[in-house]
Amino acid sequence: MITGEGLSLRRGGRALLRDVSVQLAAGEVLAVVGPNGAGKSTLLRLLCGDLRPDAGVVLAEGRALPAWRPLDLARRRAVMTQHANLAFPMSARAVVGLGRLPWHGHPGSARDEEAVREAMARAGVLPLAARAYATLSGGEQQRVQLARALAQLDGAPRPAALLLDEPTASLDVAHRVALLRILRELAGEGLAVMVILHDLNEAAIGADRVLMLRDGAVAGQGSVAEVLDPPRLREVYGLDFRRLPDGLVMPDYGAALGP
Amino acid sequence: MAAGVDGIGGTGLALRAPARAVPLAAGLLLASLLAAVLLGPARVSPAGFLAVVADLLGLAPLPAEFAGDRAILSVVRAPRALMGALIGAGLACAGAVMQGLFRNPLADPGLIGVSSGAALMAAAGIVFGGGLMGSRAGLLGLWLLPLLAFAGGLGATFLIARLAMREGSVGVANLLLAGIGVNALCVAGLGLLVAIADDRQARDINFWLLGSLAGARWVHLPVLLALVGLPCLGLLRLARPLNALMLGEREAFHLGVQVETAKRVAVVLAAVAVAAGVAFSGIIAFIGLLVPHLVRMAVGAEHRIVLPCAGLLGGALLVAADLVARSLAAPAELPVGVVTALLGAPFFLLLLRRQSA
Amino acid sequence: MRRRSLLAAGPALLAARAARAVPSRVVCVGGALTECAFALGAGSRLVAVDTTSLVPPAAQRLPNIGYMRALPTEGLVALHPDLLLLSEEAGPPAAIEVLRAARMPIRTVPDGAGGEAAVAKLRAVAEALELPAEPMASALAEDWAALDAPIAALPTRPRGIFVLSGSSGAPLVSGRDTHADAAIRAAGAVNLVEGYRGYRPLSPEMAARMAPDFILMMDHALEAAGGPEAVLRMPALAVTPAAAARRVVPMPGSHLNFGPRAAEARRALALALRPGATLPALPERPWLRG
Repeated sequence: MITGEGLSLRRGGRALLRDVSVQLAAGEVLAVVGPNGAGKSTLLRLLCGDLRPDAGVVLAEGRALPAWRPLDLARRRAVMTQHANLAFPMSARAVVGLGRLPWHGHPGSARDEEAVREAMARAGVLPLAARAYATLSGGEQQRVQLARALAQLDGAPRPAALLLDEPTASLDVAHRVALLRILRELAGEGLAVMVILHDLNEAAIGADRVLMLRDGAVAGQGSVAEVLDPPRLREVYGLDFRRLPDGLVMPDYGAALGP
Repeated sequence: MAAGVDGIGGTGLALRAPARAVPLAAGLLLASLLAAVLLGPARVSPAGFLAVVADLLGLAPLPAEFAGDRAILSVVRAPRALMGALIGAGLACAGAVMQGLFRNPLADPGLIGVSSGAALMAAAGIVFGGGLMGSRAGLLGLWLLPLLAFAGGLGATFLIARLAMREGSVGVANLLLAGIGVNALCVAGLGLLVAIADDRQARDINFWLLGSLAGARWVHLPVLLALVGLPCLGLLRLARPLNALMLGEREAFHLGVQVETAKRVAVVLAAVAVAAGVAFSGIIAFIGLLVPHLVRMAVGAEHRIVLPCAGLLGGALLVAADLVARSLAAPAELPVGVVTALLGAPFFLLLLRRQSA
Repeated sequence: MRRRSLLAAGPALLAARAARAVPSRVVCVGGALTECAFALGAGSRLVAVDTTSLVPPAAQRLPNIGYMRALPTEGLVALHPDLLLLSEEAGPPAAIEVLRAARMPIRTVPDGAGGEAAVAKLRAVAEALELPAEPMASALAEDWAALDAPIAALPTRPRGIFVLSGSSGAPLVSGRDTHADAAIRAAGAVNLVEGYRGYRPLSPEMAARMAPDFILMMDHALEAAGGPEAVLRMPALAVTPAAAARRVVPMPGSHLNFGPRAAEARRALALALRPGATLPALPERPWLRG
C-alpha cells in the first residue's frame, strides 16, 4: 500500500533519516521501534505526506505522494498523531465526527452516523460521546483520536492504511492490549497498519513485522523474532536483553542498574 | 437523526439543536434592520412608513406631507442600516475565520493588519490630502478616503502574508509574529501622523478611529455587496477546512484539506471583507473579536453554524448599535464603535460568567 | 416659446415664493454663525446649534447636535430644519453628502478670520435668514476700522503664543493661518510661531527659543489645564519669559469667532495683552447684548 524508498531528510544540518526504505503491505501490522530520536515519527511524517524527503520517494499504491489529491489520499489513509489538542471546545463525539470530513459529498457519507457510532464502540469510547474532549484523560483522548481515525477509514476502498504515532503512550495496560487487538483486527480486514511503539513487547505481540530504527537509519527489518533479537537490541539500546517465551524480551535490569 | 448539521462535523459542546441557530440569527438581523428603519430620533408615523413603502414599490404616489418621511426612511436610515448589516457581517465572519485559522479564540482580523493598515492610510489621507477631500473636490474627494483605507488594509495584510512566507508556506505562527510587527509599524506611523497633524486633523483621525455609519448612501451598497458580501459567501465555504483545522494543521491535511490553499483563501477574503467595510465606516471595535466568540459559546464549535451565525449576528449588532448611536444623544450622535463595545462587552461578560459558573 | 413657458410658470413661481416662508427652524453649525443669527435678532428661530456655539449664553440652552466635524445625519433631519447653516469647517464630507441627498436646505458659509471676513459672515447669515444685514454689518465694519489707527499707535508690540489646550502633555500652539494668529495680529501683537500652519504641540526647546512675553489661552482651556499656575509649570512653558512675568492671558473663546463681536474682541484683546494701555471705547451696539 505505502512504500518508502531511500528516504533521507536533513534538518538544521542534522540527518534525521538516512536512506530508509520501508514497505507497508495490506493485511499486516508493521511496528516501528527504536530509541528516542531514532527518526520514528519523522518516518511516519514522510510516509503520510506531512514532510517531503530530501532524497527518496514515497509511493501510495505505486503513485508518488505529491501526485495524490489530499482528499483522495484521506479517503484511504488515516493518521493518528501524538498530540492532537483542540482549538475550541468540542464533544468527544464531534471530534470523532471530524473523521468523516473526507467523505462529504461522496456516497460514503450516507454512513456517517453509523461510522461514528461503530468507530466509537470499537475504541470503547461510546460512553464518553457527550463529554467535552478537553475534560477527558490523556488515555481517553487517545482512544477518541483512534475512533476518529477508524471513522475516517469506514467505507474506504482497499487497500487502505492506518498510521499511528505511539497510540499506546497514555493507555493503561488493559487498553493497550485492547488497542493492539483492534490493530490486528483491522489488518485482518485488509488494512495496512503501521504503528510506532516504545514497548518492544507490544511490538512482539501486536505486530507481524518490525522495523527498528537507530540514528535515522534502519537497524533491522523483518519478523518479530529476527528483529527483537538480544544481540541486536544490545547494539541499538546499549542494554542486555533476555529472551522470554512467545518472542517477548526483557531488559536485564539487574545488570543495567548495578548492585 | 439525519446526517445533517447536527450530525457529523461536530456539534461542539452545546448539544442543543444548533440548526435552529441560523434562522434565529437571521431573524435577529431582520428585526434589527426593521427597528433601524422604523426607529430613531426622527419620528415617522406608521402612516408615513406605509406611504413611503407604497411609493417605493410603485403602488401609490407619495402624498406631499410624507416627503420628509421618505427622506428619513430611504435616504438616511435604509442605506445606513444595510451598510451596517454588511460591514458588521464582514467583520464578524472574518473574525470567526481568523479565530479558526489561528486556532485561537482571541484572534481577530486586526491580527493580519487590516485595521491598522486602513487606519494608517486614512490618517495619511486626512493629514496630507486635505485639499483633495470633501464634497467641494467632487467625486474623488468623497471616495478618496475609503479608497486609501481599503488599499491600506489590503496592503498591510499582503505585507504580513509575504513576510510570513517560508518555503512557499504561510506558517500561522509566522503570520502572527509578522502581524505584530507590521501592526506596530502602522500604529507608530499613525502616531507620527497624529503628531504632525494639526488639531482639526487629529480630531478627524480620532473620529475615524471610533467609527461611524453617518456617511452611508445607496451608491455605497453595490460596492459593499461586491467587496464584503461576496467575500463573506466565500468565507462560509471554508467551514469544513476550518472544522478540520480545529484538530491542527497536520491533522487537517490528513483529513484531506488543502491547508495552504485554505489559509490563503481565508486571509485574502477576510482582508478584503474587513478592509472594504472599514473603508466606509472607520474602525469598529469588538465585533470581529467577540461576536464569533459569543456565537461559539451559544452554539458550539461547528463552523458550518458558527460562520453564518457570526455573520448574521455581527450585522445585527452593528445595525442595533448604530440605532443606539444615533438615538441616545439626539440630536447629536455617538461614535458607533464605542456603542458596539458598550452593547456587546457586558453581554459577553455575562455569558462568560454564566459559562464558568 | 420661452416667453410663453415663463408666463405660464409665472403664477406657480409666485405661489411658490409666497408659500416659502422665511426660515423659521434654523440649525446653526459654527460658533460665529450662531453669534450672527442672534445679533441679527433671529435667535428665536434657531432650533439647535453645535458644540462651538457658546455665545450668546442663550445659545447654550438650545439642543446641541455635537461636534461640527462629526455631523449627525438623522439627528439633523429629525429637527426638520428649513435652513441648515453650516460653517465650511463642518464635516465629514460623506455626512454632508447624505444631508444633500435628503434635500436638507443647506447653506455653507466660509469661516474666515479678520474684520472683512466677520462682516462677510454677518451678511451671509442675514441673507440666508432673509433679514436685512444693516445696520449691523456696516456698524461692525466701522468699529473694526475705527480700531486700526489707535492700535497701530500703541507703544508696544507684545510677542507671544496662543495655547489651544494644555491638558495633555505638550501644549497645542497656534501657527500661521489660524484664527488665533489673526486675532493676535489684529490686536497689534506678534504671534511668534511662524514655522507651521494650524495647531501643533510645541516642544520645550522651541518655546525657549521663541521666548514669548505672553501666553494667550481661551478661558475654558485655561481652566481645563488647571489654571495659570499649572500652565506655567508645563515644561515647555516654564522656561519662557512669560512664565517669569506670570503673563498668562485668558480670553473668551468667542474672541476667535470673527463674528458680530469681532471689533469688540479685537479691542479687548489688544488691551489684555498690554496691561495699563488704553483705547477709545467703541459705540454701544444694542444688538450685541444678550
